[in-house]
Amino acid sequence: MAMKATGSQKRHLPNRLGIKGWIWGGNYKLERYLYTLHRVTGLGLLLFVTLHLAMNGFRIGGVESWEDFMSVFGTSGFKVGEYLVAAAFIFHALNGGRLMLQHLGYTLGKPKPPVYPYVDSLRRRRPIVWAMLAMIVALAVYLLIEFVT
Amino acid sequence: MSETRLKILQYITGIVLFFYVGAHLIVSHLSGGEPAAWESVAERASSSLWLAFYILLLIFGLYHGLHGLRTIIIELLPRLPAKVVDWTLVTVGVAIFIYAAYIPISAF
Repeated sequence: MAMKATGSQKRHLPNRLGIKGWIWGGNYKLERYLYTLHRVTGLGLLLFVTLHLAMNGFRIGGVESWEDFMSVFGTSGFKVGEYLVAAAFIFHALNGGRLMLQHLGYTLGKPKPPVYPYVDSLRRRRPIVWAMLAMIVALAVYLLIEFVT
Repeated sequence: MSETRLKILQYITGIVLFFYVGAHLIVSHLSGGEPAAWESVAERASSSLWLAFYILLLIFGLYHGLHGLRTIIIELLPRLPAKVVDWTLVTVGVAIFIYAAYIPISAF
C-alpha cells in the first residue's frame, strides 16, 4: 500500500546518495560519468571566473600595478592551469551541446519496441558520444600544441 | 519564473557563451601578440564595442554559472528552501556584476 507523503516530504524527495552519487550509485554508464565531469568542470570554471574577475581589479591601480601582477602569470604552473581551464571549457561546451540536444529529444532517435535485450535510446545513439569525445580530444590536443609553441 | 524558463535561459546563455568565450580564448591566447600587455588592455578598454562585449559576457556568464550552481545546491540539499538559495545567489550575482562591471566602465 502506498504511503502518503507529509510535510517537508511532500516538497522534497531525499537525496540519499548525496555527492557520493556523482561517483557511484549502481550500474553507471559512460553518460553518467560525462554528467559528473560536466558538473566538475562547471564548478571549476565558475571558480576560475570568480578569481579572474577579482584579479581584473588590478587594472584599476594603473600600469605599474597591472604589470607587477601580470609578471606572476609567466610561471609554468600558471600556464598549466590556464591550459586546464581551456580544456575544461572545451569539454563543458561540447558536452553541454550534447546534453541540450538529447534533453530536447533531437538526438534520441525514434522509439523502438522493448524487445530483449533492452537497449535504451542513449546507448543506441552512443556514436554521438564517441564523436563528441573525439572532437574534445582533437581540440584539447590542438590547444596543447598552441600553448606549448 | 518557472523552472522550464530558467532551464531554457540556461541553454540560451550556454550557446551564447560558447561563441563569446571562444572569441575571448582566440583573442587572448591564439591570436599571437601580447593581449595581456598594458597597451593592449588599455586599447581594448577605450573601445565601446569591447565594453559591450565584456558587459554582455559578464551577464551571460554569471547567469549560466550561478544557475548551474543553483541546480547542484538544490539537488544536494533538497531540504533547503529554493527561495533562500535563489535570493542568496541573486544577491551574490548582483554584487559580482557591480564589481566586475565597474572595472571596464571606469577604464572607458
